[in-house]
Amino acid sequence: MDAVFDALADPTRRRVVETLARGGTVTASGLAAQLPITRQAVSKHLAALHGAELVTASRMGRETHYKLRPQPLDEAAHWIQMVSAEWDDRLEALRRTLEKRRGRSN
Amino acid sequence: MKLRDETAAPDHHDEKAPWVERETLVEATPEEVWEALTDEDRLEEWMAPDVELDPVEGGEIAVRDGDDGRTGTVETVEEGERFAFTWSRSGEGESFVEFTIQALPGGSRVTVVETPVHSAATNTAAGSTAMAAGGWGSRLARLDRAMRFALVA
Repeated sequence: MDAVFDALADPTRRRVVETLARGGTVTASGLAAQLPITRQAVSKHLAALHGAELVTASRMGRETHYKLRPQPLDEAAHWIQMVSAEWDDRLEALRRTLEKRRGRSN
Repeated sequence: MKLRDETAAPDHHDEKAPWVERETLVEATPEEVWEALTDEDRLEEWMAPDVELDPVEGGEIAVRDGDDGRTGTVETVEEGERFAFTWSRSGEGESFVEFTIQALPGGSRVTVVETPVHSAATNTAAGSTAMAAGGWGSRLARLDRAMRFALVA
C-alpha cells in the first residue's frame, strides 16, 4: 500500500496513470506520444508503477505492453475515504468536547 | 521480463502532498485546543475510549477502541501550534498524523493530515512551504482527480 502511495505521489506518474486509465493496453512509445515526456522517462515511470503493482507488463515481440491494474488504486481510494471519514468523526467529537467545556465555564 | 525501478532514488520528492487533510473550526482558543490534543485524559473525550500519551518528542502514544488498537511515536511538539506522531495497527503500515492549530477571530482552525509514512518524511520538510505558498488546495485537487480513476478504471 505504501508503494502505491509513493508511486502516485509523483505528478508525472499520475499523468501516466490517467493516460493508462483512458486507453486499455499501451506501449512506452505509445504513451510517450501522448505525453510531453521522453520515451526513456515514460519507461522509468512505468517501471515504478510496475514495482507498485499498478500496471501489468507483457512482452509481445520487441515491445512491452502495459495495462493499468485498478485494484491497488481502488485500495488507495478506499484508504483515503475511510481515513477521511474517521477524521471527520473525530474532529466533530473534538469540536463538541471543546464547545461543551467552554459552555460550562461561561 | 524484469523491470528495474530506476525512479526510486530520492529525487523530485518536493511535489508530495498529504493523502488525507481535514479541518474543523472550533470556538476555542489555540491553548484550549492544544490541551484537548495533547492531554491523554482530554484525548479520551473525543479520540478513543483509551488513550495513553507521553506528549514529548520521542514519547509513546497508544490509542485503543475496543479490539482496535494503534501505537506510535510522537514526532513534533510545538506548543499551541503543531503536534505530530506516527501510528500503526499491529502488522500494518505506519502513517504520519499531524495537527496544526491556527488562531482565528473567536476561535481556532484545527487541521489534521494523515499520510502513509513513506511519503510523510517529505511532507514535513515541504509541507509548511507549500502551505504558505497556498499550493495545498490545488495539489489536493490534483490528487483527488488522480484518485477518481480508481472509481472508473
